[in-house]
Amino acid sequence: MQNIDGQIPVKKLRDLLNPLLVPLLAIFTAMVAGGIIIAIVGGNPFAAYWGLVQGSFGSAAALSETAVWATPYIFAGLAVAVAFKGGLFNIGAEGQLAFGAVMAALIGYALPGWLHIDLPAYIHIPLTVGLGMLAGAIWAAIPGALKAYTGGHEVINTIMMNYIALNITSFLLNGPMRDPDPLNLSARTPEIAASARIPTIFPDLRVHWGFVLALLVAVIIWWLLWKTTMGFEIRTVGANPDAAKYAGINVKRTIVITMAISGALAGLAGAIEVTALNYRHELGFSVGYGFDSIAIALLGKTNPFGVVLAAILFGAMRNGGTRMQFMTQIPVDIISVIQGLILLFVAADAIIRFIYRIRVREERVVLTRGWGG
Amino acid sequence: MKKLYLVIAVLVMAAMLVPACTPTAPDCTKPEVFCVGLVTDVGKVDDKSFNQTAWEGVQQAKTDGVANWVQYIETTDAKDYDKNIATFADAGYDEIVTVGFNLTESTYTAAKKYTSIMFVGIDQFLSADATHPEWPLANLVSISYNEDQSGFLVGALASMMSASHKIGAVCGTDAVPPVWRYGEGYRAGAAYEDAKNGTTTEVSVVYHSDVGFDKTFTDPTWGADTANSMIDKGADAIFGCGGKTGNGAVDAAAQRSVYAIGVDTDQYFTLPEADAWLLTSAMKPETAPVAAVIKLTKDGTFPTGGIYMGPSGYAPYHDQASKVSATIDTEMKAILAGLLDGSIKTNVPPVKPAQ
Repeated sequence: MQNIDGQIPVKKLRDLLNPLLVPLLAIFTAMVAGGIIIAIVGGNPFAAYWGLVQGSFGSAAALSETAVWATPYIFAGLAVAVAFKGGLFNIGAEGQLAFGAVMAALIGYALPGWLHIDLPAYIHIPLTVGLGMLAGAIWAAIPGALKAYTGGHEVINTIMMNYIALNITSFLLNGPMRDPDPLNLSARTPEIAASARIPTIFPDLRVHWGFVLALLVAVIIWWLLWKTTMGFEIRTVGANPDAAKYAGINVKRTIVITMAISGALAGLAGAIEVTALNYRHELGFSVGYGFDSIAIALLGKTNPFGVVLAAILFGAMRNGGTRMQFMTQIPVDIISVIQGLILLFVAADAIIRFIYRIRVREERVVLTRGWGG
Repeated sequence: MKKLYLVIAVLVMAAMLVPACTPTAPDCTKPEVFCVGLVTDVGKVDDKSFNQTAWEGVQQAKTDGVANWVQYIETTDAKDYDKNIATFADAGYDEIVTVGFNLTESTYTAAKKYTSIMFVGIDQFLSADATHPEWPLANLVSISYNEDQSGFLVGALASMMSASHKIGAVCGTDAVPPVWRYGEGYRAGAAYEDAKNGTTTEVSVVYHSDVGFDKTFTDPTWGADTANSMIDKGADAIFGCGGKTGNGAVDAAAQRSVYAIGVDTDQYFTLPEADAWLLTSAMKPETAPVAAVIKLTKDGTFPTGGIYMGPSGYAPYHDQASKVSATIDTEMKAILAGLLDGSIKTNVPPVKPAQ
């Protein structure tokens, strides 16, 4: 029996709950602070939060939309979390996500035409999603290799790769991959073939099997990180690359692999958005998920199951915001304020420890190393 | 520390007492309660552009006593369009206004699904084609404009105000029909005044059609560069038409102290840095037609044919008013009246003819 951190057997419930303490208190404190802001601008915080809860969990449709919102957040949050575990800060999830989406859209609409056959869904969907993942993995492996073999810092390189990816996407969606429909005035691809579409779970709701896949992938990532040799290597390199080297681990290869896994997950986020929700890629869609995912990975303490919970929370807030505004006329911007406060309290957890007088019991998570680390 | 908790506790208690202030929504499902909802495009309701002017039209309907309750939802992500429309529809709203080109498909789909709710689309262009075989729907109307008339008005004014008789227009892509109508209307308006006054005005209309659709309206640098090169060649009035690209041109013109002309809304309020030289703006006023369509809906005479034509117009001269002579002002009023009653025609076709 192992606890969710996977290191030592559970002795006390307290040990299990301890890592959850700071994130939960951060969320609580941010909600209180957000409530005070709502009250100052003249709203009723209880009505607002009631609207938020109703809009995110209050009906089948609301639950479905929360799952739709949470799906890319889970994938992208896992992407950033895996990189953190390997001591790498992947800010490039946004670009990797865009490439995953572009590749999935291309395979989705063009492959049947290239092959001159109608593909069955059980071949077309895995191909579309898989190649989308591959595109994200390759795009992330480049800064990984630069880090491993030249020491170029991945933070700088992934940020710069974002711009390259977004401009290439813009070129493709305006040029070779542009929807040829004469009525189309947007930079978007044609719709993907029916055989490449991931079906919804229920007939009238938008929640799709991609959400189930996201939960499954979270379990796979947990298994990978704590139950396999590769996961052990990733975590060891993340904790201390020098020790890893002396232990005989190929540090350079591990860095590239970590980034590739991270990029594959981000690419998966984009590919699922295309194959299960939008059925095409369009500029302006999926903007900002790569950056929100950093907050989600931090709130989830880089633990796969923590990421799932954080992603559902962020998804619920973004989804429920509509109903909150509809019921109380409080601007949806308050959601961004609360999310920002949560991130602030999680990142600067000394604030939370000070307010609630929590002594440092747990080990601090080392997220990334400095220059030349 | 204890004091801090006390302060927080007091604030929370105070927050609980506030609620009485906010008005509660009536039951929109009742037939006698007429409710109007507005869904914005990604952005804010006070964007000083279409979201805002359309919302002002909806509020106008409430002030006029036409609507009993009005409400808006600001969209934060493109994937929420359908959900936001459904939020109003499921609450029993009688009419839903959707703002922006990007909501075209969601609005069309929703209109087919909720046949008893009336829909108004702003900046949406539908026609009967393969993807919209059922158009026009009995419960969906798009508010459209004769942009060529607004362009005509500001073109005429530019030609009358220009000392060098060289004027320019810096526009987004001509593949978007309204943009093309603005640009060609501008040309036609200048020609109209030339014929009347015996002048020869050199009109240069440049479309940013050399880049993709995601860049054409968001390239203020290109807009400014193009405007500057026109000014270098002697142009002393610049019409910026096309989102941020046009705004760049308007800003550049104001910086170089030549007449700047805005587009869509009165840009005196959206581009304050250009105010000193902003002559006017070619207007697509949303407020009045939105309020008018809501009134028609309440009266049971929802417009048929899928299109409701909004009025053309031009914005006040603001800081430039002292430079516009009474003769020119009278002429502008005459042109507007002529365009509206049909005695003056722009002769600009609705879409760019294929070459």
